[in-house]
Amino acid sequence: MKNMLEHTGIEPGRLHFSWISSAESTKFVDVVKKITEEVKALDPHKKFVKTEPKVD
Amino acid sequence: MAENEPKILSFLCSWCSYGAADLAGVSRMEYPPNIRVIRIPCTGRMSPKFILAGLKQGADAVWVSG
Amino acid sequence: MDPDKCIACGVCAEKCPKKVDDKYNAGLSQRKAIYVEYAQAVPLKYSIDAENCIYLTKGKCGSCKKKCPVGAVDYEQTEKKLKINVGSVILAPGFEAFNPNGLDNYQYANYPNVVTSLEFERLLSASGPTMGHVVRPSDKEEPKRIAWFQCVGSRDMNKCDNSYCSSVCCMYAIKEAVIAKEHAGDGLDCSIFFMDMRTPGKEFERFYENAKKKSGVNFIRSRVHTINPVGDTGDLELRYVTETGELKTEIFDMVVLSIGLQTPPALVDLAGKLGIELTPGKFCKTDTFSPVSTSKEGIFVCGAFQGPKDIPQAVIDSSAAASAAAEVLAEARDTKTKEVAVIEERNVVGERPKIGVFVCKCGINIAGVVDVPAVAQYAASLPYVDFVDENLFSCSQDNQNNMANLIKEKGLNRIVVAACTPKTHEPLFQETLFNAGLNKYLFEMTNIRNQNSWVHKNNPELATQKAKDLVRMAVAKVALMEPLKEVKLTVNHTAMVIGGGISGLTAAKSLANQGYETHLIEREHRLGGQALNLFHTAKGDDVQQNLSKIIESVNSDEKITVHLNTQINNVDGFVGNFVSTLSTDGKTEELEHGVAIVATGAAPLVPTEYDYGKDPRILTSLELDKKMINHDPMLKDLNSAVFIQCVGSREPERMYCSRVCCTHSIENALELKKINPDMNVYILYRDIRTYGEKEYLYKQAREQGIIFIRFSLENKPVVTSKDGNVIVTITDHVLGRPMELNADLVSLATAIVPYRDEQLANFFKVPMNEDGFFIEKHAKLGPSEFATDGTFLCGMAHYPKPIDESIAQAKASVARAVTLLSKTTIYSSGTIAEVEPAKCASCGVCVSVCPYSAPSFATEGRFAGKAEINPALCKGCGLCVASCRSGAIHLKGFDTDQIFSQIFEMDEAV
Repeated sequence: MKNMLEHTGIEPGRLHFSWISSAESTKFVDVVKKITEEVKALDPHKKFVKTEPKVD
Repeated sequence: MAENEPKILSFLCSWCSYGAADLAGVSRMEYPPNIRVIRIPCTGRMSPKFILAGLKQGADAVWVSG
Repeated sequence: MDPDKCIACGVCAEKCPKKVDDKYNAGLSQRKAIYVEYAQAVPLKYSIDAENCIYLTKGKCGSCKKKCPVGAVDYEQTEKKLKINVGSVILAPGFEAFNPNGLDNYQYANYPNVVTSLEFERLLSASGPTMGHVVRPSDKEEPKRIAWFQCVGSRDMNKCDNSYCSSVCCMYAIKEAVIAKEHAGDGLDCSIFFMDMRTPGKEFERFYENAKKKSGVNFIRSRVHTINPVGDTGDLELRYVTETGELKTEIFDMVVLSIGLQTPPALVDLAGKLGIELTPGKFCKTDTFSPVSTSKEGIFVCGAFQGPKDIPQAVIDSSAAASAAAEVLAEARDTKTKEVAVIEERNVVGERPKIGVFVCKCGINIAGVVDVPAVAQYAASLPYVDFVDENLFSCSQDNQNNMANLIKEKGLNRIVVAACTPKTHEPLFQETLFNAGLNKYLFEMTNIRNQNSWVHKNNPELATQKAKDLVRMAVAKVALMEPLKEVKLTVNHTAMVIGGGISGLTAAKSLANQGYETHLIEREHRLGGQALNLFHTAKGDDVQQNLSKIIESVNSDEKITVHLNTQINNVDGFVGNFVSTLSTDGKTEELEHGVAIVATGAAPLVPTEYDYGKDPRILTSLELDKKMINHDPMLKDLNSAVFIQCVGSREPERMYCSRVCCTHSIENALELKKINPDMNVYILYRDIRTYGEKEYLYKQAREQGIIFIRFSLENKPVVTSKDGNVIVTITDHVLGRPMELNADLVSLATAIVPYRDEQLANFFKVPMNEDGFFIEKHAKLGPSEFATDGTFLCGMAHYPKPIDESIAQAKASVARAVTLLSKTTIYSSGTIAEVEPAKCASCGVCVSVCPYSAPSFATEGRFAGKAEINPALCKGCGLCVASCRSGAIHLKGFDTDQIFSQIFEMDEAV
């Protein structure tokens, strides 16, 4: 899936997978922090996004 | 919403990560408010279509967690 | 605390000024005097630690009472004495961990870096004091070398009085070492110092091998006699003698004491009050053939009070105790049941969605961070939202009534509650919908507490924004929700038990005792199974005598039909409604039954090594038992006997321990000593695995002069016949030189081998492991049932086990089966998968991926050949939905369009 996305020009950092058991709240928080940081490091995502035609 | 606040669309397994997220709340841990959670019954329910739709819809990232 | 009022908001603990060492974290962290014992506690309610509460000890403070938003704090609560009239009692009081404070050689009390295994367990835990980051107590540095000492407070009559084996410590020490290495990476060196490595449980041997080979844990066979501190570094110097007698000194950063299990003094008192007998190890005394019955009628026991044991065995025992109690109380079943009143459901099909949104403040738990009025106002602007309300506590009883009234009054047909987590509160609100005459699936809950206000308290603005997003997503989804039906199924109250060995016999008898018609299927011409070959149990009971009593009671029970010489040709149907085709001596018949218990057992391996079959003096253990049952006179004339252990077990092609053979051989060796005390008896072994109180036999055997010689897999003994003599050659590991033993009898402890019954596995769609044993639903929590509903498992078909454990598991499988049999109807969940047959391509992917065997191909009707999903078996995981290439499967409640609607609403519409 990641490879496919990269092919279409989407950075691999935009897709994350993880496995966390229901007792691992600490891991959950760590993963959220890590992903958020990584995504913040990327530019806002523009590709694929439907944009309304601009009307002046 | 501010430019530097990305939205991360998150698919969390109801039994695993969703539970971990609840527990993180019970323990009052803090984390960035950027995730938007969709609860799914199991990661087996995930389909690539959801990921593409999320990205198409403007999510800055998609996170799938079992 | 009033548990009915407490909403577990946690304000009380936040404001409580008193800090106390947290016992749950083995004193490694602190908690407040008002607390929840651990994060996953059920029910999630706070309680006051009366010994430490400032108000209760000094009469001042009262902070929690002032801050509690629901008035749940009550300092006046006192101990209440209740009188309960019961028909039977089950004791499940557990154990206490051995306290190593008194052991001067390990200096647990004085050296901070000597910890107990329970303390180490908390250090490893993600929810522990260091969040799973292993550091040593003295300087919070990451240890580089950790040593585990086994048998601390077990198998020891010198330093303590516990001569039994605690059964669980070898396995948990290996687990701790493996996890520690996983957490710390390759830099961490883990060494386990042990006497015998005891891993006789299912999949345990493989875990042990992987710990050695893949994880690189060191195993050192030695008991460390001294620990000395290395200056003030916190490091510890260990001195021990290796197997070859060499004295070694090594330095470790940290030592973990693998402490054993024992019965606390208070329990010994309780046993005295109840008048139940205890064993020499102070565990509850039970009999091999009634392993969960105490010496007092009507009082049953389970768990570690019955003997030291691990989780699977404790879970088996607990179900078994429930079954034993239910057998006594069978007549009283359902005498106190009340019917629930049925409320007519309003038909909302065709109505335009009228959505009601309820935003909960949860006192200040949500409202303290999230701007609830803003969220409510925002919700009102969303499409199809007809009504919005803010609640102080949505879950309170008065609000439930209020909500039900509003639903009726305003004609709402879809409900969203934005509050805490659906995992705990969804059923509550669904009941409110039900009471308001609305289908309970017309509901969506969104989590703005646990996953929002509680975790973003320093960011109220973004948290409010997130709450709005979540509400919008929930509203979009609920608009697409449809009323779902829970399929009602009748349950056939007949049970089928497959296998007429001790497990099957016990299961059949237990079912019959609870009033259920039972059919017992046996492929052989007689009942009894492997037990027919056994002489004595580990406790010395005569197996044949007891077995014939059980067979007699089964044969004479009018609720049990025994089918001998019978094969199963086919099984159709599903939970509550099976139809099996039986064939007896060529005649076939169909049997309808609601549940099936698989008790097909296992067989002894026919050995191909140690010259078996070449000399009548070389026997298997069971052949020796046969001679003992028949009082064979040759046993009197023996001058020497050699027992060889692990024949076919713990080998690369059979990587499991057969669990019973060590005890069995020692029992037989003692029997030979009884016949002729002058006989030279040798037991050649790899590890002696007399777990629990079976350890006494091992001790007794050594006392009676039975000689134990250890060998390794690489250096097995050799059996040869020379000049009419049988010679066993073994290399003694202390001397390192080969020894020759002249044997009048060689007894081979052969492995227990499963039947690997592929056909049966196919009939019930249940899995087998690589060894050929059936795989249970859950290794720890569901050991006596399969993942496929309505099918259960017990005895050696699950794993090799002695008679007492087989009987316990047979009763356990019955207890699980009765949870179904005791119902007349069962309801499927509403959130299940459904096939749209017109789109189905009959590819079969869903049939093969489903872990619960719910999909199958329809055999008749308009859509024959297309997949269909049995609502009774579907667990709603959605695996088939995602794997269906044709998009023919829909998951009700989590359907593709519903998830898409959430995705589309994730970002605010432009």
